[in-house]
Amino acid sequence: METSSNAGAQPNRSTGMANIRYGVYSQPSNIAGKSIKEIREQFSKIWGIPNDAVAYCGKDKLDENAVVQPGQNVEFHRRAGEKG
Amino acid sequence: MAVHFIQSTLLKETHMNPTDSKRFILVGAGGIGTWLAAGLVRLLEWKFPNSALIIVDGDTYEEKNKERQDFTKLGNKAVVKATELVPQFPKTTIIPVAKWVVDDNFSGVADEESPKIKASDLIRENDVIFAVVDNFAARKILFDAAAKLNNIDVFTGGNDDALFGSIYHYQKRDGVEITSHPAEFHPEYHNPPDKNPGELSCQQRSEIEGGTQLLATNMAVASFILGRVQKTIVSNQSPEETEIFFDLGIGKSEPYNRMHSALNETVTV
Repeated sequence: METSSNAGAQPNRSTGMANIRYGVYSQPSNIAGKSIKEIREQFSKIWGIPNDAVAYCGKDKLDENAVVQPGQNVEFHRRAGEKG
Repeated sequence: MAVHFIQSTLLKETHMNPTDSKRFILVGAGGIGTWLAAGLVRLLEWKFPNSALIIVDGDTYEEKNKERQDFTKLGNKAVVKATELVPQFPKTTIIPVAKWVVDDNFSGVADEESPKIKASDLIRENDVIFAVVDNFAARKILFDAAAKLNNIDVFTGGNDDALFGSIYHYQKRDGVEITSHPAEFHPEYHNPPDKNPGELSCQQRSEIEGGTQLLATNMAVASFILGRVQKTIVSNQSPEETEIFFDLGIGKSEPYNRMHSALNETVTV
């Protein structure tokens, strides 16, 4: 398992578009410059993102203080289907 | 009609040329597995004649399963499903394995009432595995056993009690992971929150609730997996839609690329 990182964190908060994904949802949004915590709060109610859904950029795990950069693809991981 | 099965003890002796024929192993013949079996056997019969479909399940089909599962009579699920398919598909060798899959470190009892098979005794190089059980623990056992091989495909899928579901395709070629092990993204595969029914007693298994799953979602999981098999196995194309989430309630699906080559790139929108 990869370790948690600040891969998305940058000293300057560049604003602009980035992509956010969670399960069946995927949407370019004006989230660059915001932290993972802020994005989670913004989308948790409309998409149902749980508090324990880990955020990733590629294989890099992003902590709650990481700041999203323009053009990044941020994914909150959705638990897989269990039953069958 | 007399039906002749190859004994499960001969599993390792079913030699196949991986380019001309396939060995598909379906683990879990339930709400997803029975519908998937119907598709896989047809695919083998016409696209890869003289292949093998091995159906693995230690569970028993009961009347209460009828709402979501495709069986014509009561009995062990692997045996009943194989008995149904054998007369219909003469170009495919169909082998039932009426056992629960356990990991190599399993040290419990394997008696006649609860027969087991170790994952590493079940699968081998060039197999295509379908892990459509109802828990993460058994899926993890199959993925971990597959990860020790050099050339393997593992498809899995599952759903919730409503209209959400997901599938995943793990692929290795020549010892290299083409797609990531699902545990890299899913903590539920790293530390399963549930237990493998194969490692429980009969009494403990009987106490597990089947939930309130829906037929439509079970069939959709089977269809999504079959679609991936068509693209990546039959047509030998890239497994870039490695993981797919869907929600029948809102009519959406979304593919995710979990290939190592893609994950190492910088993704921009």
